Amino acid sequence: MKRTVSLFLAIVLLASLACACQGPASDPGVQPTDGVPSGTGAGEAQPTPPEQAEPLEYVDLYKTYFTSEYPSLNYYTTVYGGVRGLAANCVEALVEPDEYGLYQPAMALSWESNEDCTVWTFHLREGVEWVDHQGNPTGMKVTAQDYVDAVRYVGDPLNGAYSLRVVRDLIEGLYDYYWGLDDIDSGTDTTTVRADLVASFDETVGVKALDEYTVQYTLSASAPYFLSLIEGSMLLLPCEYSYVTEMGEDFGIDNQHMLYCGAYYLSTFERDKKIVMTANPHYWDKDSVTIRSIEQQRLGDTMTTLEMFKRGEIDECVVESEEYSSLLGTEWEKYLAPNSFSSSTNYLWLDFGSDNPEFNAFIHNENFRKALQHSIDRESIAYLREPVTPSRLVRNTIIAETLIYDDRGVDYTDYPGLAEIKATDYYDAGKARAYMEAAVAELCDASGSILGVDAATVDMLPVAQFDVDGKLPVTLLYVGTDDEAEILMAQLLEVMIEEAIGADLIDVQLAFATGGFYSTVADPLNYDVYYDSLSVPYGDPGSQLSRLTSDGAENVGYYEVPEYDALIEQALMESDIQKRYALFAQAEAYLVNGAYVIPFISSLRGYYMTRIEPYTGPLMQFGSIKYKGMRVSAQILTADQLAAISSAYEEKKADRLSGN
Amino acid sequence: MRAELPGLAGQRAYSIRGGPESLLRYILNRTLRSILTVVIVFVTVFMLLRFMPLNGYFTDEMLKVSDEQTRMAYLRNQGLLDPPFSQLWRFVKNLFAGDLGRSLTVYPKVPITILLCEKIPVTAAFGAASLVLGMTLGLLMGMFMARYKERLGDTLGTFYVVFVRAVPSLIYLFFIQVWVSGVLKLPLVFYEDRPESWILPTICLSLGSIAWYAIWLRRFMVDEENRDYVKFAMVKGLSKKYVLRRHLFKNAIIPIAIYLPSDILFIISGSLIIESLYAIPGTGGLLTKAIQKQDNNLVQVIVLMYAILSVLGVFLGDLLVAFVDPRIRLTEDEG
Repeated sequence: MKRTVSLFLAIVLLASLACACQGPASDPGVQPTDGVPSGTGAGEAQPTPPEQAEPLEYVDLYKTYFTSEYPSLNYYTTVYGGVRGLAANCVEALVEPDEYGLYQPAMALSWESNEDCTVWTFHLREGVEWVDHQGNPTGMKVTAQDYVDAVRYVGDPLNGAYSLRVVRDLIEGLYDYYWGLDDIDSGTDTTTVRADLVASFDETVGVKALDEYTVQYTLSASAPYFLSLIEGSMLLLPCEYSYVTEMGEDFGIDNQHMLYCGAYYLSTFERDKKIVMTANPHYWDKDSVTIRSIEQQRLGDTMTTLEMFKRGEIDECVVESEEYSSLLGTEWEKYLAPNSFSSSTNYLWLDFGSDNPEFNAFIHNENFRKALQHSIDRESIAYLREPVTPSRLVRNTIIAETLIYDDRGVDYTDYPGLAEIKATDYYDAGKARAYMEAAVAELCDASGSILGVDAATVDMLPVAQFDVDGKLPVTLLYVGTDDEAEILMAQLLEVMIEEAIGADLIDVQLAFATGGFYSTVADPLNYDVYYDSLSVPYGDPGSQLSRLTSDGAENVGYYEVPEYDALIEQALMESDIQKRYALFAQAEAYLVNGAYVIPFISSLRGYYMTRIEPYTGPLMQFGSIKYKGMRVSAQILTADQLAAISSAYEEKKADRLSGN
Repeated sequence: MRAELPGLAGQRAYSIRGGPESLLRYILNRTLRSILTVVIVFVTVFMLLRFMPLNGYFTDEMLKVSDEQTRMAYLRNQGLLDPPFSQLWRFVKNLFAGDLGRSLTVYPKVPITILLCEKIPVTAAFGAASLVLGMTLGLLMGMFMARYKERLGDTLGTFYVVFVRAVPSLIYLFFIQVWVSGVLKLPLVFYEDRPESWILPTICLSLGSIAWYAIWLRRFMVDEENRDYVKFAMVKGLSKKYVLRRHLFKNAIIPIAIYLPSDILFIISGSLIIESLYAIPGTGGLLTKAIQKQDNNLVQVIVLMYAILSVLGVFLGDLLVAFVDPRIRLTEDEG
């Protein structure tokens, strides 16, 4: 009996292990990776970092990772940046930037615009075919009609295009077309037949195929930035309409339900697990594609990512400040390179219609806003994200520096008004106190009671509820998320504001919200101050600044600044780049000097280690990363190597932008 | 992990040996009650979902880049502004046509059938492996602890159980993933085509169930040890090992067996933490994510699925225990 039991247990254990070792049931959405060219060494596990060698040797396999989901692949409707990244590599746009950010032919061989940049005409290359998920030609050519049909697709509310506003409001007639369809769908318009309105698209909407390989966009406003919009927006990527219509709601649910015409096609798509992009053998510029295969796998956290990089299982990893310190003094220290740029800026948003009567009385006073502006020690906040050189995170302007250049190669943030703001060190406790005292003198009586404000209970539930007495100190409610780093930042802000202005004049209270921050805090105005970040979606200061006007979509604090609105309106109508940027700079300076919003740091954070040689691919400043032309080193690049490459690149870039 | 095992005492007197008619009546009765339970649970959840705020269908990013009108157009086109009962009717109609609908926000537009077909096999394979491993090692450990009660083996086993249940799992799971994988040269994450990458996640998944089976088997075996039949067997001269294996184990396993069907059925539920750590594309956390993102279509399908599995698990558990233990009767005695 003893033997029987032992035998039984042994069998059970073996069965358990065998079960553990077998693969899952076959996955209908998964394609085999046969035919994917293999790498030449980067994939080998490397317990210790290799010594640097000159010159660099390259491999043609790039192994990377993703942390957020790729829930579906419909790039017109997705909210996920990762999906937009796949589309940028797999579906060819009309133009693409080179490594210096200057636009070069992609699907369009050439283009021209009229004088005020309201009509853009693109001449497409001929003979490019759509391929399927195995890289096989489908027989369908990429034509001008595909670019027209992309607008047709996103212009139909039934298709639920994401972030449509800019394109919808810019292309002539598209706004009316979209809302006309919506009126029919909602039953508001019962007289128009939907099919008739859809059929009118070619006549009413400003995008036309002049011939098989010429597409023309007619815009409702001057858009000298239109090429950067093509880079940044997925909505202008081509659409093989008959295929997309046939697919219906299945379009983009996996790699088998979409077509490709870019440098890569998706040969493998395992949802939430693995994606393989393989070089498209029918790509028009296939000789420029240096990485033959890009394998992305899902990883859950930064610790796993770092460990995977150390073991040579991925070629690049982000190192957050927590892990950074653990690598100092180790063999990995020499590979730690700082991330150098983020176009996203962090602002303090102020609620100009706050339910808190004390704050509401003060926020309309410029001296009070300036007191806040001067009370924030930007470097101390930046230290939480970058303990080594926090000063490189400090940013006082709304639009990022080194992002938008005029036709002379002058950085937009060096225009008059902004250059001074950029150079200012705003943190000054003395000034903060003086501004606050000036505000108090204007808004309070001698006893410290705030004029026109009575004691009250402020209801900002579900975020906070608190009492105010209508007297100094002014109560300010700062609301953050319950993220550990943000809690630290909120506590720091509380201390620095109270210390600079004085706790006798201001009382900062903190609250932390969970769940959807925008819907819980920002949209219902359950805050006095909170921080958020915004990035520039395309290469025009107006892309951000026009959203900050008094009736702008991003004016979540509901300030009223007619002077700013007028300047923006003027700038948007200006097609001369230098005059346009000068007007935008004037407007931005007005907003920042008046402290209507308080930009304080960029979203830059952390370090990275990589095998990718930087600046070898297109410089995508507004769109997602493109792998075409990128080179993957067989060895990890040291921080010194990366710095040397960067320095040489910056010199060349300056020359190119200034036209030398 | 289950917290407490309810006793079987107090149940109505049933017997599966009361003849085929009474058994059929019992099964029919239970089936109808089960269906009613599932319907009540499902309709309640379905209706509650329709009371959620409309902004919940959008991420912060979507809310920022779209205006109110555009958002309403999207919701109307998704059928989310229709009256709740018409949405319910549409769902039921499609359900009987074999269409579970499409995900709204978690995997936009992806048919839920495809999602479940992709994810369930992976989770079920891990679940089955860990169940076998957990039961085997857990029951062995339980027997071992009972046999060496209050000796070193028992103390070590108790320490393991307390450790697994008291220490936050993330601590030892991270340790196993990073350190143990390094020492044993095993992959850090799961790869479908590398069998050795299945070992650590399977072990991690079974740690809890090993503790559960061990501690409960020990407890029931120790309880049984004081029964007269055990004393009688010992007096007869049978060895302790023989009594333990042939008499005690058989009786002590009965209260645990009732949970076996549920354990088997719920191998598809997955583990949020372990699947996330090892990058396993399974069902772990799917319901949580769907609730967070207000993906009504996905939530209602998963709730329906889990409700059916739950009632089925209890039902099959009752049947199983009645088969295992002749003292338990399922059908009411006549007279």
